Amino acid sequence: MAMATAKKEKVNTKNKIYIGSRAFDVALIIFMVALSIVFIYPFINIIAISLSSNSMIGSGAVTWYPKEITTKGYEIVFGTSTLYRAYAHTLLYCVGFTLVNLSCTSMIAYSLTQSEFVLRKPVTIILLVTMFFSGGTVPTYLLVRSLGLLDTIWAMILPNAVAAYNVFVYRAFYKGISIELREAARIDGAGEFRILFGIYYPLCKPLFATFGLFSMVGMWNSFYDALLYIKDFNKQPIQLILRQMLFKVGGLSSAMGAAGNEIGSGVQSGALNPKNVQYATIVATIAPIMIIYPFLQKYFTQGMQVGAVKG
Amino acid sequence: MRADKTVSKNTKENGYTTKRSTGESLVHFIKKLAGQWQLLILCIPALTLLIIFKYMPIYGILIAFKNYKASRGIWGSEWLDPIFQNFTRFFSGPDGWNVVWNTVKVGVVSLIFTYPAPIIFALLLNELRIRWYKRTVQTISYIPYFISAVVVVGMLAEFGSMNGLFNQLRGLVGLDPVNMNYGAAYFMGMYVGSAVWQGMGYGSIIYLSALSNVDTSLYDVANIDGANRWQKVKHICLPAILPTTMVLLILNTGNILSQDFTKILLMQNDSNRSALNVINTYVYYFGIEQGQFSYTTAVNLMVSVASFILVFGTNTIVRKISPENSLF
Repeated sequence: MAMATAKKEKVNTKNKIYIGSRAFDVALIIFMVALSIVFIYPFINIIAISLSSNSMIGSGAVTWYPKEITTKGYEIVFGTSTLYRAYAHTLLYCVGFTLVNLSCTSMIAYSLTQSEFVLRKPVTIILLVTMFFSGGTVPTYLLVRSLGLLDTIWAMILPNAVAAYNVFVYRAFYKGISIELREAARIDGAGEFRILFGIYYPLCKPLFATFGLFSMVGMWNSFYDALLYIKDFNKQPIQLILRQMLFKVGGLSSAMGAAGNEIGSGVQSGALNPKNVQYATIVATIAPIMIIYPFLQKYFTQGMQVGAVKG
Repeated sequence: MRADKTVSKNTKENGYTTKRSTGESLVHFIKKLAGQWQLLILCIPALTLLIIFKYMPIYGILIAFKNYKASRGIWGSEWLDPIFQNFTRFFSGPDGWNVVWNTVKVGVVSLIFTYPAPIIFALLLNELRIRWYKRTVQTISYIPYFISAVVVVGMLAEFGSMNGLFNQLRGLVGLDPVNMNYGAAYFMGMYVGSAVWQGMGYGSIIYLSALSNVDTSLYDVANIDGANRWQKVKHICLPAILPTTMVLLILNTGNILSQDFTKILLMQNDSNRSALNVINTYVYYFGIEQGQFSYTTAVNLMVSVASFILVFGTNTIVRKISPENSLF
């Protein structure tokens, strides 16, 4: 008898747990849907506004989808040279930075992996120091200026090309490559260069892809270095130009060059809202990242795990 | 000192002269290095860049104590008298303490919200049982991370405007619309909110990977013991991510003073500039825009020192509480 009631009670509590747990599941699913909307809505709203008519934007009626569709903003943005020039320069900075970054980092990390390398300790210390001390904005700016690098691509590439943290992550990754492979190559008479470029590099493709994509995206999104070092409007990357269009008084028409007058008259007649042009540029700035996003996503989980090895 | 002692000890015992043994080891060292010339060459590009662009600016900090004149260079410029003039000027001026307070406030409030958000998000995601759904939410949640500060601030300006999203939401609960971009009243909410929005999904990756390493048999054992879901989270999931949370706490605390000032720089306008200045934006305005190089270098140096102390301080505390979770 006693055993039977005990059993019944147990089933009851189990049921209770089960129901409570189910309710939690449902609530969680709904919460996650809401959260996903929060993540995605700002993008949808910006795209919708960029495609809507002046009067609809003015009354604040645009939310999920464009109202009274107009593509005027995109026509202006893609019809002037400003965007293409900005794209070209940004791409140049991204590729240049990534190449210098990857080659310098991958080489120094290899030397640090070799336990018999006599300068391993001093070089490691040189790297470590840069993780904790930095000269700060102004001394770096003065240095770049005195080297005559202002308004050149080198100001965008060189100052931050080597980060100690990355070197240590590369080193951790290299350590996962079996030593036997290196020893075998050495017995066959291969030098360090052959081993690094011929054996390590092919094995490190996922590492290079991860860090390469990340440094590309980081450079694409950065504006502060360009704000410091690139004063020449014709060499400025896309983020800096977008900043001028969004936040500077009169910055929109001056940034768009020849189309400036078209924007002015369009706004005056009510056929165009400045946001049409501004948000079309936002979309044009985000679009390349969204195109490579699937690749990014494939690699960055790996990248985080590589990074975690060190931590 | 210690090397000297051993050498002299050797001299006594073996009768070798000191000179010969150090000379020998130097020759040995150079021979070895010559044999490793390829390894040395592989270091040179990175070392050159580091020495020029990281070490030279550290030397450049000297101008914090000098009256820097570009024509006379760093070394040639005159020393200040009194030498800490720039530091005292910052704190005796009208802005100094205000800027420090702003910096600390933005840093601490950000930490309070942006640090736990990814942890909670990861734990919740971990409770989602439908796999494809979990993966979809994850994919969506990472997207904001890859958006630039310029675009995010552009979005904030849109949503904070009189008929933007935030005011539409305020309208739902019966509040009057306000222009949130004007003045500093709504700055903190927008700054921290957007930081959480951007970082929550991406920050959760590292916790999720820690959670995926949990031995699944632990859950089975817990089920047999009749543990409910909260108990499983408390006794299995939380211990699994504890080391990660500790490391990230140290890193985030070290970053308190170096918040994303580029975003603040973008959010500033004429109506709120002085109220929103943090140390890094202050350095930008007075240093780069106005050319007060020595003064702002001094201000920046104080932040670097304070950040350094913060990182070591938190690490020391963590090391005392649980040594295995400390960073160094």
